Amino acid sequence: MSSVVAGSLLLLSTAGVSAAVQGGRITREEALAAVFPEATVEAERVFLTRPQMARVGELAGVEVASGLVARYVATERGRVVGRAYVDTHVVRTKRESLLISLEADGRVKRIDVTAFLEPTEYQARERWLQQYDQQALNDDLAVQRAIRPIAGATLTAGATNAAVRRVLAIDQVLEQSEETLER
Amino acid sequence: MTAKTDQVRSWRTQTILALALCALATTATAQTQPGDDSQSTPVDTAVAGAPAAAGDVDDSEDSGASGRANGSPVGAETGEQQPDLAEVLRRLDLLAEEVERLRSGENVEPVSVEDARRLGLAPSAAATYGRDRGVSIAGYGEMLLENFADESEAGTPTGRTTQFDFLRAVIYAGYRFNDKFLFNSEIEIEHADEVFVEFAYVDYQASEHVGVRGGMLLAPMGLVNEFHEPTVFIGTERPVTESRIIPSTWRENGGGVYGAFDWVAFRAYVINGFDGLDFSSGGLRSGRQKGSRAKATSMAFTGRVDVTPTPGVFVGASLYAGDSGQGQVVVDDTEYGVRTTIFDVHGQAQVRGLDVRGLFARAYVGDAAQLNQVLDTGVAERMQGAYIQVGYDLLSQTNSGDIALTPYVRYEQVDTQDRMPVGLARSLSTDNTYVTAGVELKPIPNIVVKVDHAWVSNDADTGINQFNLAMGYAF
Repeated sequence: MSSVVAGSLLLLSTAGVSAAVQGGRITREEALAAVFPEATVEAERVFLTRPQMARVGELAGVEVASGLVARYVATERGRVVGRAYVDTHVVRTKRESLLISLEADGRVKRIDVTAFLEPTEYQARERWLQQYDQQALNDDLAVQRAIRPIAGATLTAGATNAAVRRVLAIDQVLEQSEETLER
Repeated sequence: MTAKTDQVRSWRTQTILALALCALATTATAQTQPGDDSQSTPVDTAVAGAPAAAGDVDDSEDSGASGRANGSPVGAETGEQQPDLAEVLRRLDLLAEEVERLRSGENVEPVSVEDARRLGLAPSAAATYGRDRGVSIAGYGEMLLENFADESEAGTPTGRTTQFDFLRAVIYAGYRFNDKFLFNSEIEIEHADEVFVEFAYVDYQASEHVGVRGGMLLAPMGLVNEFHEPTVFIGTERPVTESRIIPSTWRENGGGVYGAFDWVAFRAYVINGFDGLDFSSGGLRSGRQKGSRAKATSMAFTGRVDVTPTPGVFVGASLYAGDSGQGQVVVDDTEYGVRTTIFDVHGQAQVRGLDVRGLFARAYVGDAAQLNQVLDTGVAERMQGAYIQVGYDLLSQTNSGDIALTPYVRYEQVDTQDRMPVGLARSLSTDNTYVTAGVELKPIPNIVVKVDHAWVSNDADTGINQFNLAMGYAF
């Protein structure tokens, strides 16, 4: 009994030490600075048109609940080096926001969790999110296909995958629109 | 100033802001080419990291009364002088940024004492006003039809009646007090008429990686006990090993730490021990105290470590160690602690539709001879069980959306009298082999329908096969 209590106190004190040195969840500004360290990042709020929303839904195969898109464009010496989007969605009953950063060619560069209001134990870990690195929008980008599930957090995995597909589709549609405009 | 007055003013402010937005949108529409619905509208850009629009929108009494936004009298402009398109778009951008930031759930600030006072509420009661972090509700349920064979292995009539049970109807209720503290609970109605608290605890999230937890806790053992929703485990019924050796749903009162570092996750708790006087030849299940006036003379340690070398794959081990005597096992004026130790090793791999899970668990009961002198129920000094199960989602590699169709098979051996104390004979009927084959259909990830057949055998030829049909949901 006494050894059990002593061991537990040791663990609790370890937790206390950890509490003093660990940071919290990353902000989108911190994430953008880490993803595009040398770049100038400009924020845009994009209003998708109805046809664009329909096209995004068609490409992504997931619901597009809002036409308001928070987008960031990173440039270096006038050249676009990447883009990032904030996708906010409900996991179970609470919201999660992901900053999904893309390479200039539209593949996933990195995903950061900027808000997670469900219990923390359901949050996807960095190693799991790294499965999306360099992924492009295709049929294989699905849980149980290119993406492995999270044990005990099925809804987080599903919501995250839907968000990535949605962002990749939005990026594709917006980039195509800009190309059309340039022509 | 009363809270009611403030609320009225807040509503008035919101209404005026909405009207301002409509006016701005109308103005913008009027200055845009009609019929141009093909291109998106990226509004005025801003440097990332610039302050959110919250700081630019004056939410004070003045703004509510005059309809000002960002210092410009919108009402006056619409009547006398139109703002130029750039200014309209700038304001639209500010509002869009504000909406997007509010939607994101980021930077959700706690309610200050001043805010609470303004709302006329105590700080805790005011918390839900300042953040979307209050009450959360979720739940799950499962219904099970069991149809038993007419005859046992030996051909003896079983006399078992088909049973249709609404096994569990569960509501999760939680409350997030702030970034660090949250409460979570599971209130369960079993068999439609028994109410239990399955867990109820307060978490202190000390850091991103480590937290402290106290209350009624799920013992962190095995694969099923903590993740026992019907949409998570395969099969109409939970594996027998995780019912008799690891007696899920196993919950007791206590506290401890939990956390995860990169690819390692752990939990370690001190909880009240079993009540050994309720052990039986069928295992440890009846020894659970379920947090109800639990005898706590004998406490126990329980913990687990899981390693995830790659997403979708993990292996781990769990341990429980503590006395179960609770000061009640006394033979010849000597008190016996009845040290109970359970350990398991487990693993799970979910890759491209394939789902493989396996577990081995063994339990030791100390002072079993003395315990049997008190009980005379054939409690073993060692019991064990193991299973492996494989499922494959036939639709996983197709473009069928969320729907999943997974045939599965499970092989399991459980012996609750693997080794008996000297002088006591083991029963041949406690060493069972279960082979279960079935299929589950998930039209969406939150709903499952399962059907399977279990072949049960033992050396006493008393095994009874059964056909099961189950429906489950989780939200």
